[in-house]
Amino acid sequence: MMKMKDENYNRLINLLRESGVKLDSKEEIEAGVIKRISETRHSAFNIDNVVNFFFGWAYIGWVRRSLIAASVILILIFVYQQGVILRQINYLSRRTIVTEGPRSSFSSGAFKKELLIFKFTGMKLPSDNINISQKQLDQLLESVNELQDKYRDLINLIDSDPELKKYIEKKLNEKNRTKINL
Amino acid sequence: MVVSCDEPETVVTNFIHPDGSITRKIEMRNNENKFKHSDLQVPFDSSWTVKDSSEVDEKGDTTWIKRAEKTFKNVDELNLTYKNDSGANKMITRKAIFLKKFKWFNTEYRFTERIDKKLEYGYPLRDYLNTEELHYFFSPDNFKAEKATGPDSLKYKALNDSIKIKTDKWTMKNLVSEWIGEFSKLTKGKVGGELSLASLKSREDDFVKICESNEDKLDSLWAHGILLRQFIGETNALKYKNEADSALDIASNNFWINFKEYSVRISMPGDLTGTNGFIDSSQILLWPVKSDFFMTEPYEMWAESKIPNKWAWIVSGIFLVFVLTGVIIKVTKKG
Repeated sequence: MMKMKDENYNRLINLLRESGVKLDSKEEIEAGVIKRISETRHSAFNIDNVVNFFFGWAYIGWVRRSLIAASVILILIFVYQQGVILRQINYLSRRTIVTEGPRSSFSSGAFKKELLIFKFTGMKLPSDNINISQKQLDQLLESVNELQDKYRDLINLIDSDPELKKYIEKKLNEKNRTKINL
Repeated sequence: MVVSCDEPETVVTNFIHPDGSITRKIEMRNNENKFKHSDLQVPFDSSWTVKDSSEVDEKGDTTWIKRAEKTFKNVDELNLTYKNDSGANKMITRKAIFLKKFKWFNTEYRFTERIDKKLEYGYPLRDYLNTEELHYFFSPDNFKAEKATGPDSLKYKALNDSIKIKTDKWTMKNLVSEWIGEFSKLTKGKVGGELSLASLKSREDDFVKICESNEDKLDSLWAHGILLRQFIGETNALKYKNEADSALDIASNNFWINFKEYSVRISMPGDLTGTNGFIDSSQILLWPVKSDFFMTEPYEMWAESKIPNKWAWIVSGIFLVFVLTGVIIKVTKKG
């Protein structure tokens, strides 16, 4: 490639020599060339060129419309996402705060289920051992004590009122009759 | 029946990191310095960092505390620990799931701890309890105790009583349903249409009523074959007595889970956006874990959060300014 350029250059020089062109003012030509080069360089930093380079797309209809559409979609996604998140955060901030601390002995009712199954299966234990925690044992004892107190109160109440006693006896008999006949 | 006092009060806290790794801390408190592996609700081994300490309260009672901590690379590593569990809750299937979704302006995270259901033929609790009752049923004991002694104590006592009545009905129905399911499995191919699963299911409510009205004599009624005769008739009761007893054994085994309660806490990366848990005073999510919670439906403890992608906000801002400038230049030059 370089070789070809050199050959072209030499051919041009030889042509000029043979044609006998005389240069009257070398300085003028030199200054003219320098001026043109500097003008070209100066025009490379022209603000219009920069604007045209970066925003040339604004004059192409389909590119302009596509970028505007992309911007609108981006804004909509942002508004939607942040809206949903704000709503969720507001909802969570209204939720009840649970106080920490040692576990309460509040009855969960789970033990009652275990007793029901135990009774239903004829007091058979399905696995090797069934562990009952101290908490569950406390619950059981507490329930038994409570039941005994209530039973005693109930008996006293019934004994002190003959009409009530008669009514309860009647109801108990009715209940026994409605049960399946053994 | 063995009475055990060795069950420690256990709280598991999962700190979820944006890369999907999990730092898990277990705190076990016991009134004796006994932390037998078979009594522990959540598995841990020698690869964990363990610290022992004790506290003495104003009454002079000592509480022994064991704290264990380990960072898991991902949920698979955590699930492997659950899979190899040989502790108190080895009978249940537990699994952790982590999801991360890139949504340009935000990255969303979801962490779930799931316990699989125990009963194959059970009915969902939501068929029996309304939204308020469900919320109360799944709430921590401390919350319930606070409500029971608070200004609305009468309201919450009534709510608690209503839940007890309804959950008793739910338990009985599940037991009958489970028995029917197991009995149908055992007698498949041997019985006629009247003992098919569909036929027994259609009479399920009648079976439940019989059981409920004879709750105090269930054991003797079953032992003497009276209940079975009521369910499937005299001839079938004699013919399929063994299958019926086996079905009851399987059903009661499924019901009677050797499970020890504990609590789970989750701390998510970024801002919390959704959860089905309770929020404690340190803004960490809290769930009690009890056997009733995963009887008929899987029990999922989930939390969602998000972290804003600041670089995406900046890139989007620059893009919008760029497009807006282009449009302004176009309009100005045209003018």
